[in-house]
Amino acid sequence: MPKIEPIIILSLVCSIAGLVLIYISSLYIEPTKLKVSDITPELVGRFVVTNGKISSKKTTDAGHVFLTVSDNKSSIQVPLFANFMNSLKDNGLSENKIKVGYEVSISGLLEEYNGQLQIIPRKITDFKILSD
Amino acid sequence: MINLIFYLVLIFLGIGIGIVAGLIPGLHVNTTIPLILSLSFFFQSPYQIVVLIISVAITEIFIDYIPSIFLGAPEADTSLSVLPGHRLLLEGRGREAIKLTIIGGLGCLILSLILITLLAPYFQFFYTTTRPYIQYLLILVILFMIISEKKPKKIAFAFFIIVITGLMGLIVLNSPVANQQNILFPTLTGLFGMSTIIISISEKSKIPKQHEDSRLLISPKEIIKAMFLGSVAGIIVGFLPAIGISEAGTMVQYLGGMGDSRGFLVTISGINAANDAFSIISLYLLGNPRSGTSIAIGQILGDLTLFDITFLIGIILFTAGIASLISLYLSKIIPKHLERINYKTLSFLIISLLIFMVFLFSGIFGLLVLFTSTSIGILCAHMEIRRSHCMGLLLVPTLFFFLGITPLFLSLVGI
Repeated sequence: MPKIEPIIILSLVCSIAGLVLIYISSLYIEPTKLKVSDITPELVGRFVVTNGKISSKKTTDAGHVFLTVSDNKSSIQVPLFANFMNSLKDNGLSENKIKVGYEVSISGLLEEYNGQLQIIPRKITDFKILSD
Repeated sequence: MINLIFYLVLIFLGIGIGIVAGLIPGLHVNTTIPLILSLSFFFQSPYQIVVLIISVAITEIFIDYIPSIFLGAPEADTSLSVLPGHRLLLEGRGREAIKLTIIGGLGCLILSLILITLLAPYFQFFYTTTRPYIQYLLILVILFMIISEKKPKKIAFAFFIIVITGLMGLIVLNSPVANQQNILFPTLTGLFGMSTIIISISEKSKIPKQHEDSRLLISPKEIIKAMFLGSVAGIIVGFLPAIGISEAGTMVQYLGGMGDSRGFLVTISGINAANDAFSIISLYLLGNPRSGTSIAIGQILGDLTLFDITFLIGIILFTAGIASLISLYLSKIIPKHLERINYKTLSFLIISLLIFMVFLFSGIFGLLVLFTSTSIGILCAHMEIRRSHCMGLLLVPTLFFFLGITPLFLSLVGI
């Protein structure tokens, strides 16, 4: 059997151990929970969770759904891209079940697009309908 | 006349900010733009603030290669330049390396402006036609990267590195622990920069006296090929979402046969410059901002007219010319200082600076990411396979995005 250099074994162990630690930290640290009105541009790039009512909804031909979610004070954009909508649909939540006025919980990456803040959900559990 | 002088002052102020931001590892143009915007109340016209933003952004494109090549401390957009640049530095050709990035940047800036003008009516068509096939192109590139190692053992190693860096990319880029704007700095610094420095220390390398003669040891034909590939790839990066400069650089390296260090430095710098030019012009062509700089400009100026875009192109070209000269000058004086310092001491100083900057921008999690990515970078080097396999970090998440399986993957791993 060919001899493996100790440095390869050491760096392999460090790589895998580091990756496992990164995974575990990502698993147990929850995104910051905020009110819609507390979400500011300084938080762009962070993962956040918020609750609010769908105040408007627009569906495009390409299958993207653009929601505006509001609390009493302010609102935020929530784009649900076609790929994400397909994943939701596979789990029983089709586009026509998402209606204006519904209370929803969204978690995802906060980004700024065309001067507006938006939360982009990444996985199906990032978008939940709380009540209609 | 007073207006013109005021704009010139703003351009030189922007160049000054761009030099400082470009030389400090970890400071990206997207970090400096919010600072500039916070000073907007000083300006009387929106054009003044736009001029400042553009001059900072364009200067950074050229200056970013100095820490990347001389210190091994890259930005996301310059990470692929570390290895060929460092190789030339250790051959005493560091100045030539910087010169190649300048030629690539300037040449591709001009060539891409011509290409953008000629192709302007077809961008929407290109986008809709190519968009459904990107995933196949990415699969082809990844397969090509693996098979190009030729020997079965190395093919297995390459596959392993792409998988492990891909997993790292998928986790890190979707982790709620870190700010996504800063997390690529520790990741890429570890994979390409820190690991290279540590290996150089263990191999007792030293920065040799740099050649005064910075003649380009590459044929004009190779430069033209590299510039053409850089311009086309830069424009493609500009209009295709999720494909970044490093992903495009990797594709060009494998599919365009750009294995040579010199040609590749011209191409990667060219992609960066062409992409920045396209992202600003796309505000007018497509009405769609494609970078932090263009988003800021779009917000400030609103709908751009043909006059606006001509004015902005003028600022881009003028700034690029001045920034190139400054970059060339810095490439002459910086190595002289570096040569005087013992390489081991210098390496430890750079490692300490990188650790400090990573901690400053992304905290303890950033340090964990830096440790892991450095280990992977060292592993890849000792397996004696190409370090560009570490680009699995961005290629795999991009592939997952285009295949539409990121939500499924994240649900499976529970992040």
